Amino acid sequence: MSSELRFDHVVLDNGLMIIGEFNPRAVSAAVGYMVHAGARDESPELAGVSHFLEHMLFKGNERLSADDINRTFDELGADYNAFTSEERTVYYGAVPADRAEKLLDLLTELMEPSLRQEDFDMEKKVILEEIAMYQDRPAQRLFELGNGRFWNGHPLGNSVLGSPETVGNMQRDAMRAYFEERYAPSNVHLVLAGNYDWDAMVARARERTAGWRDYQVNRGKPAPEPMTGYERVADAALNRQHTAFFAPGVPVETPDMFAAGIVANVVGDGSGSRLYWELVDKGLTDNAWLSHEAQEGAGAFVGYLSAAPDRADEVLERYREVLQQVQDEGVTPEEWRRSQRKIATSLTFRAETPLGRLMSFGTIYQTLGKYLSVNETVELVMSTPLEAGARILAGRPFDQGFVLSLGPN
Amino acid sequence: MPSDGNATASPFDVTLPNGLRVLYEPMPWLPTLSVTLLMPFGSVTDPIGNEGSASVLHEWLQRGAGDLDSRALSDAFEDLGVRRGGNAGRETSTLGAGFLAADAARALPLLADMVKRPRFESPEFAPAVELAQEELRSLEDAPTQKMFEALTARFLASPHRRSSLGTPEGLAALTEAGVRADAADRVGPDGAILALAGGSTWEQLLPVIEETFGTWRGATQPVPAPELAPQGLHHVDAETTQLQVGLAYPSAQVGTDEGYLYTLALNVLSGSMGARLFTEIREKRGLVYSVSAGTRALRGLGFTVGYAGTTTERAAETLQVFLAELDRLAEGVTAEELERSRTGLLSSVVMRGESSGATAGRLATDAYYLGRARTLAEVSDKIESATLEQVNEYLAANPVPTPTIVTLGRLPEGGLGLPAATATATEVGTGTGTATGTDAGTEGRA
Repeated sequence: MSSELRFDHVVLDNGLMIIGEFNPRAVSAAVGYMVHAGARDESPELAGVSHFLEHMLFKGNERLSADDINRTFDELGADYNAFTSEERTVYYGAVPADRAEKLLDLLTELMEPSLRQEDFDMEKKVILEEIAMYQDRPAQRLFELGNGRFWNGHPLGNSVLGSPETVGNMQRDAMRAYFEERYAPSNVHLVLAGNYDWDAMVARARERTAGWRDYQVNRGKPAPEPMTGYERVADAALNRQHTAFFAPGVPVETPDMFAAGIVANVVGDGSGSRLYWELVDKGLTDNAWLSHEAQEGAGAFVGYLSAAPDRADEVLERYREVLQQVQDEGVTPEEWRRSQRKIATSLTFRAETPLGRLMSFGTIYQTLGKYLSVNETVELVMSTPLEAGARILAGRPFDQGFVLSLGPN
Repeated sequence: MPSDGNATASPFDVTLPNGLRVLYEPMPWLPTLSVTLLMPFGSVTDPIGNEGSASVLHEWLQRGAGDLDSRALSDAFEDLGVRRGGNAGRETSTLGAGFLAADAARALPLLADMVKRPRFESPEFAPAVELAQEELRSLEDAPTQKMFEALTARFLASPHRRSSLGTPEGLAALTEAGVRADAADRVGPDGAILALAGGSTWEQLLPVIEETFGTWRGATQPVPAPELAPQGLHHVDAETTQLQVGLAYPSAQVGTDEGYLYTLALNVLSGSMGARLFTEIREKRGLVYSVSAGTRALRGLGFTVGYAGTTTERAAETLQVFLAELDRLAEGVTAEELERSRTGLLSSVVMRGESSGATAGRLATDAYYLGRARTLAEVSDKIESATLEQVNEYLAANPVPTPTIVTLGRLPEGGLGLPAATATATEVGTGTGTATGTDAGTEGRA
C-alpha cells in the first residue's frame, strides 16, 4: 500500500508548516493542528493552563459560538477531539474525504479563540469535574504524583491537569498571555493524512491563516536530575496497593529511542514479557507493565503494578528482581526479535486509518523534523540491533529507579 | 477501491459442517488481517455455584494447546508478531488476533488449537483462578466500572445480571475437574462465529480454516433469554470524589427497522459534543466532564445505558436534566438535528470500514445478534432513508420508559430530588446477591 503514499510539506510565509501523507486508497481524511505547547511549558502557578486552553478553543470566537462549532463538526460527520500532554496539544478530526477542506476551515477557526470570560468561568467547572474524575482513578492519581516527584523540578514533571487550586485561581488574562506566547504559527504543525487535495488544502490554509503573525517560541530543556528511592502515600480508602516505577530513559532525539522501546517491551509488555511471566501469568497481579517514554531532551522508563495490600511488598520485590535480572543478564535474541515483531505489528495496524497515521508521523515530524512512512518506521524498529539494547541495560538504568506506592499500606 | 469496493458486496458467509459460522470481508488494500472468534459461552451460562467459570475457562484455554505448553504457545504467537485480545463476557466470549495477512496459514492453526486442543494442564489452573480473582479485586478501585456492574445486576433479572468476572465465592469453588467438564459442555463450534477481515482472499483462507477450525468438536449450551428486573432506584455507598450515576432502560434492538429509528434519535441525544446531553449538562451548566448514553445488546433485548460522573453536590441537578432530556425525546427531534445525526452515523459507518479490527468485530456481532452480516450499503441505506416523520412517530409512540438508576459514591444530603413516580424503588428479589458481592445494599428513596 505504501508505494502509493506521497509525503508533502510546505512552510507558509507566516511560519506555519503543513505536512501531509496522501493516501489515494483512503476513504477519509484526517486533519490536525499539533501545537508544540504542553504542560512542560507552564509556570507552576499556571499548572493546567495548556489543557484548560485546549477546552477553551472549542468555545469559539466572534464568528462562531461554541454551539456553532459543535454543530458544524456534527454537520461534517467528523470524528474529532483534542488532547494535551507534557509535550504538545493536538486538535484533530477525521471526515469522509470530500469534506477535508471544511474540516480544515473549522479547525482553523478553533485556532483563533476569543477566550470569553463567561465561557472561561463555565469551562472551569468542567475542568474541576475532570480533575475530580481522575481523583477516583488511583492509577491516574499515582502517575500525577509520581511523575512530579520523579522529575524533581524538571518541567516534564508538570501536571497536565493542574490542581483544583491552580485551575480554580486561574485568570483569563493569564491564559490569553500563555496563548499569545505559545501558539505562534512556527510553533504549530498542520498535519494532513489520508485522501485530500494537497494544493487545495495548502491554498485554503494560506488564505485562512493569512492574518497570523509569527514570533519566536523557546522551550526550556534543562538537564534532568531525577529522583531515586521509594516513597509511599497512604490512602486508607483504597482497596489495592498501586505502585509506579520510574527510571531514567533516553530522549526522543537519540537513535537509541527505538532500542529503549524494545527493551521496555521485552521487560514489560502486556503479554509475553518478563513481567508478564513472572507476575501476571502466576496470578500475583492482573496488571504489571513497563514502558518507555521518549520525550524531548529526556526520557523515562515508566512502570505500574497493582497488588492486593497483603502481598504488595512481595510482588513489588519480584517486580524489582525482574528488572535487576534483565540488567544482569541482558535479553536473549529471541526475546529481542519477538518484541521487534510485536511493535512492528502494532505500527502496521495503527496505520490502517488516516487518523492513526496522522498521530504517528505527525508526532515524529514535529519532534525530529523528519518524515517516516510506516514502512520506514517498521524498518527502523526491525533493524535496531540487540547490542543497542545491551548498551542501555549496561548503564543499569533501573538501579536509579524511583518508586511511589499509593494505597492502604 | 475501498471507497465503494466493500459497500455493496456481501461478506463471504458459510457454516462449516461442525456448525461454526465463518464470515470474511476482504479489504485487499490492507497488509493486515483481523480475526474475532465469538463463542456462545459466558457468565450467563456459568453453572450455579461456579460463577466465574467462564472467566477462568477463557484464561485456561490460552495456557497451552496442542503440542505447545503455555510458554511455547505464547512464543509461537509472538514469533509471528500476533496481537492477541479477547475477553470472557456475559453471553459470549471472544478470542481475537491481528497479524500480517501473509502469516494467516501459520497464525490461524494456533488460534484454532486453543479451542480444539486446549491442554488444560493442572499447574496452570491455580494461577488462572488467581488471576481471575485479582481482576475481580481490582474492580474495588474502579468506581465507574463497579457502578456499571451494579447497574447490570439491578437492571436484569435473568443470569445476565451476573458479572462476567464471577463472584469471590464462585471462583473459590472452582475445581480443575469441574472447569474441564464445563469446557466440554460449552466450548464448541455450534453457534460460534469466526469473523475475519483484511488483506487476504477467501480462496486462501477457506482451506486453512476448514483444515483447522473444521475439525473442532465440542458441545455448546443454549443462552437463555434475557429478562428485565422491575424498574428501581439503587445506591451503593463508596468513598469517592464523584458520584457515579448510571441508568438503563429497554430500547429497540440495533439493526432492526425500529433500531435504526431509535439509533438516529439517540444520536441526537448523545452522539457528539453537539448532542443534547453534552450541550445541556456540560456546555450550558458545567455539571460534568463525562456524560453519555449508548445502546447495548443482548440476544433478544436491546437496551440503553446512560452515564454521568459528577461531584455529589451537583448530582441532583445532573440527574434531573438527564431525565428531562430522556423525556423530551418523546416530543421528537428537529429536522436539523436529524440531519446532523444521520451525517454522523453515515460518516462513522464509512470510517469504521477502514479498520480491519472494527470490521471483523462488526461481522461477528451482526451474525450473533441479527443472524446475518449487513453490508455497509444496507446500513447506509437504512440510515439515509429514515424520514423525520418516521423517527418522530416512533419516538412519540415509544417514550423512554422510567429507567433503573444506580448511583455509587456519596449521596447528597437532600437526596437526588427525584419525582415520586421515579422513586418507587423495587428490590430485586432473586436473593443471589449482586454480581460483585460488594453492593452495600439497596435503598429506595422518595
